[in-house]
Amino acid sequence: MSESLLVAAPALPLVLAVACLWRPLREWAGGLLILAPVPALAAALVVRRSSVVTLQHGLVPITFALDVPGAMLLGVSALLWIAAGAYACLRRCGQPLGGQAVVCWLLTLCGSVGVFIAADMASFFMAYALVSLPAWGLVVLDDTERAHRAGAIYVAFAVLGETLLLIGFALLAAAGDSLLIRDALAALPHSPWRGMTLALLIAGFGMKIALIPLHVWMPPTYRAAPISVAAVLSGAAVKAGVIGLIRFLPLGTVLPGAGEALAAVGLFGAFYGVAIGVTQEHPKTILAYSSVSQMGVIAAVLGMGLGAGDGGAATAVAFYGAQHVLVKGALFLAVGVAATNSRRQLWRVIVPAAVLALGLGGLPLTGGALAKLAVKGVLGGGIVGMLANLSAAASTLLMIHFVHRLAGSSAVEDAAGGRELALPWLLLAAAAVAIPWLLFPLATGGSRLAALHPVSIWASLWPVLIGAGLALLRRQFERRLPRFPEGDLLALGKYAMPAAMRIGEASERLEAGLSRWPVASLLLLAAALLLGGGILIAR
Amino acid sequence: MMAPALPDMPTAGGFLLVLAIMLPIAGVLLQFMLGGRQAERIALLVMPAGLAVAVAVTAALMLSGRPLVYHLGNLAPPLGLALRADGFSALMLMTTALIVSAIGLFARADFATPTGTVEARAPFVFWTLLLALWGALAVVFLGQDLFTLYVGLELLTFGAVPLVSLDGRAETLTAALRYLLFALFGSALFLAGTVLFYGEYGTLDIALLATRTHPDTTSAIAVAMMTAGLLAKTALFPFHLWLPPAHAGAPAPASALLSSLVVKGPFFLVVRLWFGAMPGLTDLPAAQLLGALGAGAVLFGSVLALCQPRLKPLIAYSTVAQLGYLFLMFPLAGGVGLPASVRMAVWTGGAVQAVSHAFAKAAMFAGAGLIGQALGHDRISGLRGVGRALPVTTFAVAFAGLSLMGLPPSGGFMAKWLLVRASIATAQWWWAALVFAGGLLAGGYIFRIIAPALSAPEKPLPAIRTPARRREVVVLALALISVLLGVVPFGLTTLLAVGNPTIAHIVPR
Repeated sequence: MSESLLVAAPALPLVLAVACLWRPLREWAGGLLILAPVPALAAALVVRRSSVVTLQHGLVPITFALDVPGAMLLGVSALLWIAAGAYACLRRCGQPLGGQAVVCWLLTLCGSVGVFIAADMASFFMAYALVSLPAWGLVVLDDTERAHRAGAIYVAFAVLGETLLLIGFALLAAAGDSLLIRDALAALPHSPWRGMTLALLIAGFGMKIALIPLHVWMPPTYRAAPISVAAVLSGAAVKAGVIGLIRFLPLGTVLPGAGEALAAVGLFGAFYGVAIGVTQEHPKTILAYSSVSQMGVIAAVLGMGLGAGDGGAATAVAFYGAQHVLVKGALFLAVGVAATNSRRQLWRVIVPAAVLALGLGGLPLTGGALAKLAVKGVLGGGIVGMLANLSAAASTLLMIHFVHRLAGSSAVEDAAGGRELALPWLLLAAAAVAIPWLLFPLATGGSRLAALHPVSIWASLWPVLIGAGLALLRRQFERRLPRFPEGDLLALGKYAMPAAMRIGEASERLEAGLSRWPVASLLLLAAALLLGGGILIAR
Repeated sequence: MMAPALPDMPTAGGFLLVLAIMLPIAGVLLQFMLGGRQAERIALLVMPAGLAVAVAVTAALMLSGRPLVYHLGNLAPPLGLALRADGFSALMLMTTALIVSAIGLFARADFATPTGTVEARAPFVFWTLLLALWGALAVVFLGQDLFTLYVGLELLTFGAVPLVSLDGRAETLTAALRYLLFALFGSALFLAGTVLFYGEYGTLDIALLATRTHPDTTSAIAVAMMTAGLLAKTALFPFHLWLPPAHAGAPAPASALLSSLVVKGPFFLVVRLWFGAMPGLTDLPAAQLLGALGAGAVLFGSVLALCQPRLKPLIAYSTVAQLGYLFLMFPLAGGVGLPASVRMAVWTGGAVQAVSHAFAKAAMFAGAGLIGQALGHDRISGLRGVGRALPVTTFAVAFAGLSLMGLPPSGGFMAKWLLVRASIATAQWWWAALVFAGGLLAGGYIFRIIAPALSAPEKPLPAIRTPARRREVVVLALALISVLLGVVPFGLTTLLAVGNPTIAHIVPR
């Protein structure tokens, strides 16, 4: 019985999205946004782990399954979708949301839920496309020049990711001759195309989690998207890439080369994100770079797990990701809530936001500290573990910069909406504090007391202290910091554009030549000769 | 690798094939006799009947698992002529019936005979040619000997050319003439090849040829000439010079027919020739050449689609690109000792691509027609705000675009997935790379349409003519079919295996 929730979780948003084509229903859209993620939340809470549902009614069998990593990410993502949905409709002050917004929101939600429970490649790919592409309609909602530019960049990278995954999945399916992810994965280590498959999958999912240098879409997208959209994209949608890596990397098999390469790229990203992030002004952009950095840590953990053949990395990463879902979602909402407060009351937003933000740097007793504790075992105590600790210090630096900018940039934009906006935000912030404590034993198999031990408190405290020191240094050199555009490397695109233009112009010239009669006729005869020759040669 | 196919005996239900051809042809004759305003009525009457015949043919194949065969005048080849429907024929017949019917309904508003007049040129020409094209396509899909196929091909060309210049503007007349001349060149090549075949083997029946042909010099020349002729007519790169002006210049319903169905006819004959009349050609370098031309089409067509400032030329260049994928069938389905499952993937992939492109492109051109009529122009830079003004049409065009880009769950996605699987299985990774590049480029040119359409207009749109809801629904239905084709490929495989000796033995029934 409870397994039917697994079907309802992605089905309800989809059904509602189709139903919303009927105009009167859209008037209730606000309620729908809050209602639609509820089955997903219920499924995460109620459905037994390792239950499998296969729908055979259609021509293509669809298989859903729930395991511990999937359930953790599913539950917290559903919470974020509910909170952000509530925020989105409260912000409209009773006015109905547009049809484009509601339909795109529900479709993205459907995909976001689907990726966590899909157990076969076909439905995973479908869900992944849904969580990626309709979100374009959300990014451009503000209908500004900036939004459309960001939307174009977003969609280009989303399509690129989809296409990489299409080929990667085809290679995977060819190796295993089964569409079930589990079977295909079991066959992957013996596949003749193992390296190619892993490269395509990591690049495809890396696009979503903003692995360097595939991260350039993220800062402009989050900056341009409305607050609630940025919250669900950065919190929930990005985790489609995380679950993709968890599901499709053969974590139980030792693959040293690939694993260490992924870890190196991830760690580089963890620092790179901070380095660019501290030069940014807008709180949303800073949060985007923080995501680049945090996803880098996740990639590093997965890489180390892959290198060591550590199957337990999946749960640890999912826990880390779950914590990030709630914190990042809450921080984005905080940017919006801060804008509705006057300067005198701003501390009511800043103080809780600061606690959450410093959690990303591993402030003791926060969810972030628990997350770092959970992945510690996988990262190991060597140079990688050390670098991970330093990245926590770097994150602290970035988050202090964020809080500083948040305090300094109130009432910049999104000032619509009243005090009630704080409600979904506070709920989400409370969840971000409490839920990691609830999930910790499930994720690590250890006791919560381990996190309260003075040794672990000190282990998570010193990076924060270093980070605080760095933040003071940063203030000193504020003026001399270089300025990078949002999406840093994206600026290189201006060199690519003339090249693309030249290709276009050359093609048009070629087309003009091909359109001349003598050319076309001679080519046709040449083709006939070549075809005949091609047949005779092999005789 | 392939069991020599013995000529089939006539089957019960073979008369359905005669009906499939004769219904539209009889319709044309009636239209000429009754003339004027009756032309539309007759076309509208033939549509459900023809659709029913197509359904009956498909059902007969699915139920019996054997192809339908009819011997004209009860004479078996080589003396008589045979009509034969295998799974691929039935699928194309069905596609044609659905799209012709949909476009017929769509075109009623464009080609209504004005009240008070007995006959108007454009409507009369459109409704007669609609049925003529249908009949010609039926001949192409069902004919079993090369001469009948030649006749079908000619009828197809002569039906298609005037559709291009229905509005009688000078530029569309030029485009139509260009189309006609190049198609004639192709016809001449095809006919010459046919004559060579007849001289060499004494028959033109495809099933008999399959048992007799061997790749000697004469046959090689014959096949090469026929193939080149067909490539000219299907507008495979670099022989596409006539397609963009013709398809972009024709009225929207005509463009939809030309781009979705007409170009598939010659392609179908290349398949008949290479897999039917001369099986074994696909092992040869010539098959790689066909694939290479297809690759050129995908890349070149897509890049030019990206450069077009107007909507209809963009869609026309997208047709040039999408046709390229079809020709990947030839290098992928070849190879001695190729596992039957791979061959099945190639056949299904090719067929799904042909059919889903047909529906998607019909939806796109029809949708572009509605947008053009509403705005009074089809400049892409002026599309802003269309999404608000014509939400259903924009939605349909976006859905059709999904299929062209090859995103799940569309038919285009399934086709690409199967072709990529086959290119991996045959270790021809370069075709997978091509599908990769083609998908990205298609994403680019579809985005060029969708992005402005969904953004707010800079200034309020001038009072636009909203199209009838009925027409928008037709466009939406076409687009939805092209998307839903992605979830039925397993049903299609069963159908495609009927009468196809290369894959029939592995498909469970």
